[in-house]
Amino acid sequence: MVITAAAAFPAPAGAPAAETATAPLLTVRDLGLEIGGNTILSGIDMAIGRGEFVCVVGPSGCGKTTLLRVLAGLRPPTEGEALYQGQPLVRPSREIAIVFQEYAKALLPWRTAAANVSLALETMGYPREKRAARISELLQTVGLGDSAGKYPSEMSGGMQQRLQIARALALEPSVLLLDEPFGALDAMTRQGLQDELLQLTKSTGATAFFVTHDLEEAIYLGDRVIGLHARPGRIGLVLDIDLPKPRHQLETRELPRFLELRHELFSFIKGAESA
Amino acid sequence: MILQRLLWLAASTAVFAALVVIWHLVVENGLINRVFLPTPVSTWEALYAGILHGSLLGAWGETVRRMIYGWLFASLLGVVLGALIGMSAQARAYMSGILEFIRPLPASAVVPVAIVLLGLTEYMVLAVIAFGAVWPTLLATVHGFASVEPRLYEVGQSLRMSRWDVVRKISLPNSVPDILSGMRISVTVALILTVVGEMLTGRPGLGSAIISSARMFQAPQLFAGVILLGITGYVSSILLNLAEARLLRWRS
Amino acid sequence: MTALDMRGAVIPLALIAVAELWARAVDLQSDSLAAPSAIFMAGAKALASGEMLAATGETLVCALGGLAIGFVLGAFTGILLGIFRALDHLSEVTFELLRPIPSVALIPVAMLIFGFGYWTETSIVAFTTFWPGFLLTRAAVRGVEPRLFEVVRSLEMNLPDTIRKIVVPAVLPRMFVALRLAAGISLIVAVTVEITANPVGMGARMMSASQALRPDLTFAYLLWIGVVGWSLNAVMEFVQKRLLGPAVPLPRSGA
Repeated sequence: MVITAAAAFPAPAGAPAAETATAPLLTVRDLGLEIGGNTILSGIDMAIGRGEFVCVVGPSGCGKTTLLRVLAGLRPPTEGEALYQGQPLVRPSREIAIVFQEYAKALLPWRTAAANVSLALETMGYPREKRAARISELLQTVGLGDSAGKYPSEMSGGMQQRLQIARALALEPSVLLLDEPFGALDAMTRQGLQDELLQLTKSTGATAFFVTHDLEEAIYLGDRVIGLHARPGRIGLVLDIDLPKPRHQLETRELPRFLELRHELFSFIKGAESA
Repeated sequence: MILQRLLWLAASTAVFAALVVIWHLVVENGLINRVFLPTPVSTWEALYAGILHGSLLGAWGETVRRMIYGWLFASLLGVVLGALIGMSAQARAYMSGILEFIRPLPASAVVPVAIVLLGLTEYMVLAVIAFGAVWPTLLATVHGFASVEPRLYEVGQSLRMSRWDVVRKISLPNSVPDILSGMRISVTVALILTVVGEMLTGRPGLGSAIISSARMFQAPQLFAGVILLGITGYVSSILLNLAEARLLRWRS
Repeated sequence: MTALDMRGAVIPLALIAVAELWARAVDLQSDSLAAPSAIFMAGAKALASGEMLAATGETLVCALGGLAIGFVLGAFTGILLGIFRALDHLSEVTFELLRPIPSVALIPVAMLIFGFGYWTETSIVAFTTFWPGFLLTRAAVRGVEPRLFEVVRSLEMNLPDTIRKIVVPAVLPRMFVALRLAAGISLIVAVTVEITANPVGMGARMMSASQALRPDLTFAYLLWIGVVGWSLNAVMEFVQKRLLGPAVPLPRSGA
């Protein structure tokens, strides 16, 4: 089922502080962002429920990364509001972890993999005695169990990105914001990491907000895909991805439904790009 | 590979030895006056005698002591001040005038000013060394702080790190390569200013030792002192290389 | 001038103003301190009388003369050793042993040989500027595209032609950056020698001013030396822009 209206489902008025299974975790109401006279985002309405995997796509300049940064608390909106658990998002929170696109620049090069993960634990005030075990556990989860003592410069792009994810997971966040995390990686690595990410979000129950320019990736990963128009960034398309889970790189991508969704999304983007 | 390296090293040393022999022959046969250029043998003898029986070892110790005190103090001060300035873009803008003016100034140019203020004293020498050696480290620290990858600040923000934690865990470690290269320059400046200070004040040290050797036309003793100063420079360089290798292991 | 530029001037101007006010308030008559206005007057007088310019000329003759000798020798050596690796390896120990010698340590040696004249200073500047010339040019030659040397071999070019037509044009931008660096060093070393041994030049005048208990003149020379250093760098930056254009990125200044 395809909805092309501006909102997937309306945000409940006066969202209750205590969440129920259906109350959205992240709410965005009529959000707008203006920088130096340019309207980057306008009239964004979204509601993201707990455990959902939402992907955002759009032509370059549509503000998808900016939207992510607003949700990360790195930039307050100039209009409207973004709410987390009903409370306005005005500053970063450790419950919302962000994974940046440029992994090399987001890791501390002078710290080993283990020490980089430790950074998150340090800021959380995680008990010192338990840190080593927790770090080991997290690195194992992302498949970096053998690389604890390596420096980022000794690790491949895929490994560095996994390290960033491990650090994000260390915060035990409810929400994972990912900004084109696999964009700079080769196809094989990308596919492996896509499946790992699906596994991780499933096992931790984290909500994911995933920005990408790879349309097939968005469909493969997401429960919903939101398409943005550019200049100003506004929602143009919301696709419900009714593909079976768990997803498989070969089988899922060959399903007729996948191809239908793909067609729909591609047409939207083509239209959005020429606008 | 290692063998090749060792062979070249041996050949290079042989070349050096050959040059020393040529040096010897040139002086022995009067091609260059013994007054200006002592023979290798007499230089070695002066070095040996000076260290074992004479005052050269003591003088060396004085020079090294002054240099290290001045340099360590200056480095610490430079890092602290550099961090304070570097942390804030505002501070950097306001300090830019002073820093850009002092940067190209010869460190030794403050010596006459220091003499005017503090006289020809030990205190003046130490003050000059510290003043001269502060700037390379300070400027390097400011640069290190100013060039932190903005993404890392955002990581700090999203992890809700305190200002102090950001300085301690991000800005400062990021600046270590810069600080080390600043300290490298600082130690060179410190050595130079130590020697200059000793030459001008006549206080005990290699600087005054070689000046008086020159005045008394004692070329072997003069060259012996120069060699010791060269060794001092060499050893500090090696030690800093080792520190750098240790601290910058994480670089590819 | 943007607002950003002006902020840098605030603190120096404020300091000068405070110093001036304080000096007037206490009616400063001192052997070791001087009011900014007195410093300015002393400097203006020295400039007008020609004394300062003469001293500047003396310093520059030694600095630039030493630079010419040392840097050129160094660059030439760097080119040769950059091309012929064998020579480079063989000379390694010798150069590594000579390099750590601080330039000021050679002042007594120069004094022994040349006495108290221009050559004392020039020779030490030459020794010091040899190193950046040598090291940076050698590095530049090593950085030359190896394909170019294959072209040299296939065309069977002789050495002088190789250097003239291939190597020098390829390393010219980096060599000029090295020259800028060495020029700054040459001035610093020249002034240092002057302060230590007082042959000629601005450093020597500065020392005699301090010995004559003339703090105003001493500070005036200090500031003038800063101005000369800054101007020298500005001139070289200008020449670099004209000569090389966008080929070479200018070094970022500090903060």
